[in-house]
Amino acid sequence: MVRALLLALAIVFAIQALRTNRLLPSTLWLAGLSAMVSILFYQLGARQVAVIELSVGAGLVTVLFVFAISVAGDEALSARPLIPTLVAIGLPVAAIVLLGVLALSLSPAASPAAEPGFTVALWGQRGLDLIVQIVLIFAGVLGLVGLLSEGKAPLDRSMAEEVIAQRDRDLRAIQQRVENSQKERTLS
Amino acid sequence: MTFTPLTIGWLGVLGLVGVALYGLLAVRNLIKLIIALQILVKAAMLALILGGEASHQVDLSQSLAATVIVADTVVAVIGLALAVQIKRYLGSLDIRDLSNLRG
Amino acid sequence: MATWLLCMVIGLPWLGAIIVWLVGDDRPRAQHWLAVGFSAAAGIASLALLPFVSDAPALRIALGGVFGDFSLVPDGLGVFLAAVAAVIGSLAVVFSMDYMQGEAQLGRYYAFVLIFIGAMAGLVFSGSLLMVFVFWEITAVCSYALISFHNDDPKAVRGGIKALIITSLGGIGLLAGGLIAYSHLGSYDIHNFLAKAGTLPAATLSLIGFGFLAAAAAKSAQVPFQTWLPDAMEAPTPVSALIHAATMVNAGVYLLARFYPAFSAVPGWTTAVMTVGMLSAVLAACMALVATDLKRALAYSTISQLGYMVFAIGAGSVFASMFHLLSHAVFKALLFLSAGAVIHAVGTRDMRLMGGLGKKMPFVRGVFIVGGLALAGLPIANGFFSKELILEGAWSSAPQWMAILMLIGAGLTALYTLRMIRLVFYGQPRSDLHAHDAPAAMRFSLAVLAIGTLTTWLLAGPFGAMLAGSLPFHHLEVTGTIALVGEILSAPLTWLALAVIALGLVLGLIWPSLAPLARPFKPLADFADGGLGFEWINRGVITVTDGAASALRTTQTGVLSWNVAGIVFGLILVLVLLLTVGR
Repeated sequence: MVRALLLALAIVFAIQALRTNRLLPSTLWLAGLSAMVSILFYQLGARQVAVIELSVGAGLVTVLFVFAISVAGDEALSARPLIPTLVAIGLPVAAIVLLGVLALSLSPAASPAAEPGFTVALWGQRGLDLIVQIVLIFAGVLGLVGLLSEGKAPLDRSMAEEVIAQRDRDLRAIQQRVENSQKERTLS
Repeated sequence: MTFTPLTIGWLGVLGLVGVALYGLLAVRNLIKLIIALQILVKAAMLALILGGEASHQVDLSQSLAATVIVADTVVAVIGLALAVQIKRYLGSLDIRDLSNLRG
Repeated sequence: MATWLLCMVIGLPWLGAIIVWLVGDDRPRAQHWLAVGFSAAAGIASLALLPFVSDAPALRIALGGVFGDFSLVPDGLGVFLAAVAAVIGSLAVVFSMDYMQGEAQLGRYYAFVLIFIGAMAGLVFSGSLLMVFVFWEITAVCSYALISFHNDDPKAVRGGIKALIITSLGGIGLLAGGLIAYSHLGSYDIHNFLAKAGTLPAATLSLIGFGFLAAAAAKSAQVPFQTWLPDAMEAPTPVSALIHAATMVNAGVYLLARFYPAFSAVPGWTTAVMTVGMLSAVLAACMALVATDLKRALAYSTISQLGYMVFAIGAGSVFASMFHLLSHAVFKALLFLSAGAVIHAVGTRDMRLMGGLGKKMPFVRGVFIVGGLALAGLPIANGFFSKELILEGAWSSAPQWMAILMLIGAGLTALYTLRMIRLVFYGQPRSDLHAHDAPAAMRFSLAVLAIGTLTTWLLAGPFGAMLAGSLPFHHLEVTGTIALVGEILSAPLTWLALAVIALGLVLGLIWPSLAPLARPFKPLADFADGGLGFEWINRGVITVTDGAASALRTTQTGVLSWNVAGIVFGLILVLVLLLTVGR
């Protein structure tokens, strides 16, 4: 029962996150969703990852979003989707119906072996995952540095406009000089 | 269909996935798009842990979920950095204005 | 220890690539020196691996069921090619310090050169077919990026795309062969494949063998895939020296040499390999004879020499082929870098506008002549010994007519080499060109390579021992250096070959006076210039690809939501597949 309630709350929070027009409340609804998911994890027996999800999902990611929103601005946009509503509702419904048929027909085979404990599973069995995580974080930092560095040239469009404008100015200067020299020749 | 706790769990996950997919398709603000992506990933993590509980392999599924959290956070970071840069140079977060890739 | 050195040879250049990119284009001096430092470190690490050559994998990471093991094996073939790539790579980077002086976007240039060096080392060290394919494609991408480095020049971009399309289509042969082997043997391990190749059904083995041959021919620019290499000469010259003469094009020859024991029994395979090699050797030599662009002539020469190496593998002399690979890497890099020094000084690649440059550039003329001696196969330089070994192998194991054609090819080689040297460095200056001799960094690389050209043949004995000791499936028979030299000098074939080469040189000297004789052959020369008809086929392939791409442009609406809708639709398709077929 608790599980059903928590899941229902999670879905409600998710819908609210997408419905609100402004971004800050949307972020807060996302934080609420993270909290619900974290409690669900705890209830399912995944204690350690519940703590990680609470601190990262409800904490770190929310702070990131608030920071990004404060830099980018929080204007309300019109809510009409750019693709036909039929497609926007039809595709997800088809996807979850198919997923449902696939998932609900699965009967998980209970593994008889004793559980190794979270730390052993993480460092022992999934050691390669940790190496990949380090590479991911490294790539993320590099990407962040590359994207947010100040002082780089503006996007190609404005640069191309600048170049064209400069070329026009040069052309006009040359034309002016040609006219001047022609005038001198007719006068002499 | 018997409503075992497992089935209830799956239905919840499917609901979240559906909401997230609708959000990905219908949302126009770039930052809200990233929020929809986050919802999708949380649904995936929930599915992982659910499967782990049902087959008594909670620790293995926790390790996988931890990796997913790290990857998802990096995705959010890069996505938000991109959104901030787009706002800086194009002046708008509406995806209608992001049509540079038109063929 | 071997594990650390292996990781350094692959990892140091990649680390250097990231650091050079991060340093930024506003600090070019730092970028130059950092690139030199990292590539030199990789070169030293690869040479330090020589005492550790062994057949056992030095690094093995299990990647889980589908991907097999990621393993690195420092055997003789791998260490040799990695050392060639890293050492010549560092010399090319040193050369770039002067050649790329004042160019923009150095970060992009050095990053791709360093990534390439690391990927080439990874390719030859890999013990898993899947990893060989991954590194193969990484080198192809780096090659594309470097050919189109001057991306505001449409010729360069076209050349880069052509190279990418042709080598990638060849790469499909490699991937297909690897996947077929995996489906039969259950593992990507190369050692395992070589041991169990005889257990595969004959048709499957033939399929894999010819798939690998196609991949090797595309990568090494052999007939019928040879048209991308001359167009790839739009790249900056150090790139041409490194990638398109000394390393990447050797990847195809490496593939054939590595897998020779598995396919030598496949009916028709060795004949096909010899035919491909022979056609490339002779036809490319003809095309080099009529080329007017200095770098294109060298490109055709590369195709021709690679043809010799491929032919040698088909004839069963794997050691001779690898020995020629070593010699060729050194002297071809030397020739390309000296050509680069000339082009950098005079600003044009057209040989018809050069002439008499020897007086103004004596050092470059000297090293170019040393390289030319090796290319023509004259006794002092390393090319003589390796080419003679190949011709001997041809004479004893290949059909007579093929061996004779290879001999004629040697004569043609001498002919076009002399023509190149005469057109560029001797005679009267044909146009008013400003020329100065090469600056210090260029001279360093050229001097090292010239010394190498004159001495690497001395390594024949230890080199052969290293290969024979660590390649258990190849059954190589090798002797010491002195015995080898004696054997070469005493064989009558050697003197016949030298006579043909001398004839080629004499013809080269009197070539201008033969011009009236050559006039009826002019249409043939034009045909050769047009790539002997292959250009027409390639243009067709590229037109079809372009047309298909343009037709698909309507799917790019520019609206993000449609792209996401496409992704969700793909998800639905996958689910339907899983529900219907997966059960």
